[in-house]
Amino acid sequence: MARREFLTGNEAMAEAAIAAGLKVFIGYPITPASDLFEYLAEKLPEHGGIVFQGEDEIASINALVGAVYAGAKAMTATSGPGFSLMAESLGLAAMVEAPIVIVYNMRTGPSTGIATGTGQGDVMQSRWASHGHYMDVVYAPWSVQEAYNLVIKAFDTAWRLRVPTIVLGDTILAHTRELVVAYEPGEVKVADRKPPREPPGQFKPFKPDPDDLVPPMAFYGEGYAVLVESLAHDERGYYTTNPKVYEALVRRLEEKVMKNKHLVAQSDSRMAEDAETLIVAFGTLARSALALVKDLRKQGKKVGLWRPVSIWPLDEEGLVKAAEKASRVIVAEMNLGQLYREVARILAPLGKKVELVPVLSPELPGPDELLDYFEKAGVRI
Amino acid sequence: MTLEIIIAGRGGQGILLTGYLLGKALVKKGYYVVNSEMYSAETRGGFSRSDLIVFPSEAEMDIIKVRKADIAIFMYRDQMISYADYVKPDAQLVILDSTFIDKPAKPWPKVLMVPFTRLAEEKVGTYRVANVFMIGVFSYVTGLIDPDTMKEIIKTSVRPKWVELNLKAFDAGYEYAKENLERLEIKL
Repeated sequence: MARREFLTGNEAMAEAAIAAGLKVFIGYPITPASDLFEYLAEKLPEHGGIVFQGEDEIASINALVGAVYAGAKAMTATSGPGFSLMAESLGLAAMVEAPIVIVYNMRTGPSTGIATGTGQGDVMQSRWASHGHYMDVVYAPWSVQEAYNLVIKAFDTAWRLRVPTIVLGDTILAHTRELVVAYEPGEVKVADRKPPREPPGQFKPFKPDPDDLVPPMAFYGEGYAVLVESLAHDERGYYTTNPKVYEALVRRLEEKVMKNKHLVAQSDSRMAEDAETLIVAFGTLARSALALVKDLRKQGKKVGLWRPVSIWPLDEEGLVKAAEKASRVIVAEMNLGQLYREVARILAPLGKKVELVPVLSPELPGPDELLDYFEKAGVRI
Repeated sequence: MTLEIIIAGRGGQGILLTGYLLGKALVKKGYYVVNSEMYSAETRGGFSRSDLIVFPSEAEMDIIKVRKADIAIFMYRDQMISYADYVKPDAQLVILDSTFIDKPAKPWPKVLMVPFTRLAEEKVGTYRVANVFMIGVFSYVTGLIDPDTMKEIIKTSVRPKWVELNLKAFDAGYEYAKENLERLEIKL
């Protein structure tokens, strides 16, 4: 039955993972993700799961790939510096189509930055950290309840599409406490792998279904020959340098997500219908942006908010629709323009003016301070 | 209506626990509550601040930190001075621990000065539960929190060996308020 809890973002994301069927958590402590780890260390064994501390983030993500191939729903939690270490095997997970989930709480960078400060500087890193062309899915919650919901959604996406899926939070979200409607394991529906349909001798571990481009998955120990090949591979999982096989593989890794984009891409529009000015913001900063929009509305200004819930892929159609009536679009984010470039690209064919309000601060600005950043950037409403 | 509450004092005064307990009680009442914390690196003696924003429903939720508080609770003079600007000039209620505060930092219209720390020592036997004594007073004065609900929350939120002491502190605060203070109509 649904419970009304009063949880921090990290506690809520841990609870969501348990509800989604988490069985293995492997991680390495880092601010602001350590308390999620500690919470699960206490709680997950009560639900028959295992919590393990790797010797570092590299070992942790590699073990996670092993865990999902053994059939367990598996997750890690980290922050920017830890994610940088995980970058190589994020690509591994994408290449071998391992459905891992990563909670990624952003703090202030670059490098170890201000360890206790919040940030939004990892929009690009969450998508392009690893080498080569690959795909992952990134959700960016703005509230504790949404963090809870999106962790469940992340497990669903990861297992449905066999793609590494990230929930991109931040320091503020991790430690802020809010009302959460939470559920027990079994009360939420999360996709499972598609099991092999052929007998062991005929099964090909990377042969996709034509409809969704996702290959059925065999686990270790089920009697199938499961090859987990990080090199370019054919449908059998054998290394190949064949250009055509390579192209088909890399294209499919992206297309399996883009073809199923309607299951993944989400956004939220507030007061956008008649907005002449559209503010774009995501994560906890969007909370301040929403309050600012309400203030400006009270002054009679036609301002709206568009907020991506999934950042990769973005709900491009949702953005175009929200920006329809707007003569200007302003992107406010806690970096020097990462989401901004995507928004400008998407709206360029419509001839919209897209402006940037960069916020570089280890603290989350409230609506009044956010307005100061607008002024500082020379953006007047 | 949204209600913004700021609670601040020195590290060690139980400010963060106070925010948690009040927030949880308001969640139980059906409100959408946001609680954020700020504190200095020292465990004792530094500053400690807990913000509560109470929204009627999730649909109305926006800010995470207090802009201008409708209710302020200051348990120590330095933090009252630091955060006085975060309180509305016409705040519904300002609660001050007069053990450490001799006068309000601003001419707020409704100020309640109670020596929580001294009274906790006298009536419960230790100044350590001054925060929960204050919650007892708050519960009676504001009418926002049902005393039985709060006692249930204390039982599940405080370490088992301190539960009795905290329940005693809550009751002592509630009784003190009933005998000495007026009830207010807090708008929410």
